[in-house]
This record gives sequence, C-alpha cells and structure tokens, in this order.
Amino acid sequence: MTVVNLQYYAQLREQAGSSGEQVQTAATSVRELYDELRARHGFSLAADALKVAVNAQFSAWDRPLREGDTIVFIPPVAGG
Amino acid sequence: MRFRLSNVQVDTAQQREGLKHSGSGGFCAFEGWVRDSNEGREVDGLEYEAYAELAEAEGERILAEAIERYGVTDAGCVHRTGDLKVGDLAVWIGVSAAHRDEAFRACRYIIDEIKHRLPIWKKEHYLTGDTAWVACTHVHRAHEHESDPAHHHHHEPGAFTPDYSRQVRLREVGEAGQSRLAAARILVIGAGGLGCPAISYLAGAGIGTLGIVDGDRLEASNLHRQTLYDTRDIGELKAELAARRVAALNPTVAVQTWTEPLHAGNAVEIFRQFDLVLECTDDMRSRYLSSDAAVLSGTPLVLASVYQYEGQLQVVTAQPGTPCLRCLWPLEPAPEAVGSCVQSGVLGPVPGMFGTMQAMEALKLLLDLPRPCEPALLLLNLLDYTTTRLPIDVAQGCAAHGGCVAVARQAVALVQSQSDIDVVFGRLEDALAAGYRLVDLREAGEIAIEPLELPSLQVPSAQVMAHVAELAEGRTLLICASGRRSGHAARLLRAEGLEHVHSLVGGLSALRVIS
Repeated sequence: MTVVNLQYYAQLREQAGSSGEQVQTAATSVRELYDELRARHGFSLAADALKVAVNAQFSAWDRPLREGDTIVFIPPVAGG
Repeated sequence: MRFRLSNVQVDTAQQREGLKHSGSGGFCAFEGWVRDSNEGREVDGLEYEAYAELAEAEGERILAEAIERYGVTDAGCVHRTGDLKVGDLAVWIGVSAAHRDEAFRACRYIIDEIKHRLPIWKKEHYLTGDTAWVACTHVHRAHEHESDPAHHHHHEPGAFTPDYSRQVRLREVGEAGQSRLAAARILVIGAGGLGCPAISYLAGAGIGTLGIVDGDRLEASNLHRQTLYDTRDIGELKAELAARRVAALNPTVAVQTWTEPLHAGNAVEIFRQFDLVLECTDDMRSRYLSSDAAVLSGTPLVLASVYQYEGQLQVVTAQPGTPCLRCLWPLEPAPEAVGSCVQSGVLGPVPGMFGTMQAMEALKLLLDLPRPCEPALLLLNLLDYTTTRLPIDVAQGCAAHGGCVAVARQAVALVQSQSDIDVVFGRLEDALAAGYRLVDLREAGEIAIEPLELPSLQVPSAQVMAHVAELAEGRTLLICASGRRSGHAARLLRAEGLEHVHSLVGGLSALRVIS
C-alpha cells in the first residue's frame, strides 16, 4: 500500500467535496489511482480529459506511484 | 522671421542654435526626408515648387499659432524648394520649450499644419523616367483631438489628455514603454467577467488600439461580475457597450468591435491584425479556436478561465518550440463535462482577478518586463490562495502529433469542413417546415422549465453517442440552450459518419432574441 496526497481542481473538487485528501492505495500507477478515485467519488471526467501532475510536474498516466507523492488532477475549465 | 523657404541645403545645426534660449529645458526637431517610393512607385527625386509670398506668410502664421497654443519658447521651420534627391532633407522643424511635452506637441502641430495648409506642390521623378505632380492629401491632425493645454481642467468630451505619469514613473516603463503601449494593438475576445477588467486596465494604460469581440447582449445576471456595465445597459450588445466605456475612460484609444464570435474562417486573419490577444470567453470552443489561431498567426495569446472559486492562466507565446492549449488538453472536451458560470456558479471577483491577471500579462509582454520564461500552467485558488505553477513539457504535447502548427492547421481545417453543421432559424416551426426532425439535448430539468412545445426527440447531450443509430435517420436538428452542447454533439456525430446532423446556432436563447 502507498500513501499519497491528492489535490483536486474545479469539477473534481466539487465532486469530491474537498480540495484534497490523503489516501492509502493499492494502485500502482497514476491511472489506476484515478480509476479507483473515480469509482469512489463518481468523477464525471475520464482520465483522458484531464492533466495530472505529480510533485509539481506534469506527469504521464503510467507513472508508478511512490510513497508521499503529491498528485494533482486538473480538468480544463471554461468559465469567464 | 521664423519660417523660410530655401532652395539650397539646410544647415540644421545653425537652425538649432537659433532656438537656444536660457529658459528652454527641451528641444524637439522634426525632419522630413525624400523617400524612395510613393504609393508603390519608386521615386528617384522630386522638385518642390512654392507660391513663395503666400507660403511664407502662412508658414509664419502656423509657427505663431504653435507658440501661442502650446506656450513654447521658440519655433522655427525651413522648407526646401527646387530639386531634391532621395535622402535629402525636405523640411526642418525645431521647437524649444521649458518642458518636453509642449515641445513634442508643438512640433507635431507644425508639421501637420504645414502639410495641410502650405501652398507647396511637389513633382515626383520616378525611376521609370516619368514624373507626376502629387496632390495635397488630407493629413490627420493629431491636435484636433486634444485639448488646449491651458485648459486641462475642463473635462468636456473630446478635450482630455491622458496622464500616464503614475505608470511612466516606473523605471521599467518610462516614456519609451509608454510609446510601446501607444503603438500596441490588443484583441480582447469576450467582454464579460474576464474581459471587463482586462479592457479597463488596457484602456487606462493607453494601449493604442483595442479590438473587442462579443456577440452577446448584456443580461441582469452578468452585472455581479461584469464591471464595465450598469442596469441601463441591459439588452445592449456588450461589444458596443464596452467600446463606449473605453471611449469615456480614455478617448485616445482606438476601438474596433466585432459583434459576432470569431470563426474558423476569419480568426487567423483577425489575429494577424493584432500584436497580442486575450481570450476572455466562457466558451471552450472559442478557447481552442483562439489557441489554434494564435499558433497559426504567430500571435501571443493570454488564456484564462475560471471555475467557481479558482481559475487557470496560460500564456501561449506562439513561438516555435513553445506549448499551446492543445499541448495540455489535445481535444476540446464536451461542454457538459466542463461546466460553465451558468451551471456551476461563480463569484464575481474570481473572473475579476483573472481578467486583471490577463491585463498584467499583456502589459508585461508589451513592456518586456521580467516574467518567468519557462512555459507553465498557473492554477490559483482564491479560497485559500494556493498557487500552483506547473511547467509544461513541450515534448509531451503536440510534438508527438507533428507539432502545434500541424495540429492547429488540422483542427481549423476540420471545423471549416464542418461549417454546414451550424444552421440559423428564427423559429423552430421554420425548421420543421424545412424538413428537420428536432432533437432536444437539454437535461430533463431544463426542459421542464422551458418546454419546446413542438414534436421532438429528447436525448440528453451526454448520451448522444448511445443513440447514433436512431439519430442517423433523416435531417436532424440538435437543440440545446446556447448551441454549445448541440454543436459539440453534432461534430461528434459527424465523426461517426452522420452527414445530416445539424446544430441550432445560439440555441434556444438565440430564438428568444430574434422573436
């Protein structure tokens, strides 16, 4: 199990009901983690519609998870 | 005698000496030279012929007017007559004054009036061997648009001189920076929550030309965040309202307006007319079109967008090797997945902050102020003020698909090939009469509030792809509230080979305006 810190933006924040959380996960990649969170929080957006950043750098979805990673999921927004 | 005609070369040093006075702290000179072309023809040289007595009397009068009008110490002018070669000095004007500002303005006044009023004709000799007398053309007289400097405190319309002293005082701005701003052309797409503060600050800063694009009319629900407008403006076109506000705020700013959104057929050409573009709409389609047009025209673009209490900012510099919007999110997401101010809500100061940041980025770019060079996406949450700056790795973006230019070219071509998707109707009855089947893509809750009251199929926009077979029959008109969901769904269905699917432009809200 890996402990990671999560930050949510825009629709994801709204759907998760918080701007961040710490989770313990069995997922091995960022994509697996998102799919797990999507099932839990009912996120409407698929991973392909998002950008993900790990430790303040944009990241590929197949990146392995490491203990203590800070992971940010970013959807495009259009309000003005 | 302050004005004279000369048929020999002018000694400019001697002229300048003649204007030195102990009370003068500034001197400004203008020289007009013979250039090598006029209206596309190559010029070899020219010949000036003057009605001497009249020219001298009128020249004296112009100089006296300039001294009186601007309160300068002294002014002088020499105009050449006879044969001149390319590069020769044709007219010399010098003004000395206590302060530089009057000297600059008096100098400008004198050359404009001389071009306009002096009975001097010129005969151009072309490289092809022929000659022509050139007619006197009307010149723009800058001073007709400014006030009598002695009467600054009168604020009658058209009699205002902007005072940029507070920003010119900044070492990084100065007079040179102010001149750059005055020469700059900025296009602001969207005059709403983001556009209002952006337009205000850019007009106040003295940007030479502002282009404003907005197809919407002001609604009461806009006023909590769209600070250029007031209650009397409801129902008016925002682009025109914004242009009026700019004229009131800074009459020296030239404004061009577009009261229809840009489209794939004109965006690149319009971007080329500007030095910089701010994307301030709440429309994902417009954001992608702006990114593509910026890349294809090489025009820097400042993107911002907000969601409830937070927002995103990205500067697309449109230089080779720098990322665009598609480098982050390659494909335009479905409108229902993105949310909007209408559906998700927004607090007024949020677009206010981000529009202000867009104006700041524009000024930083124009003035070449220090800014991080590394391209990044900036995320700012205004509840807890967390700021996240994520560097964008160009290699991970469009580079994998042929680069931003190739990707943008493809995207624009695709939209243009689908230009028949959008159709306009004033009444839905007309669409039925034209043989369209109506498909309502709105959610059940929206339909309950405003039913179509005409035969229609109901398919929520997120589910269209599950109804491809059903929608493939006959000519289909997709309908939603604003035309965004229907436009997006129509493009998805076209990609599935459904050639007869169309979208009602502007959605039901456009019908309301027309009827």
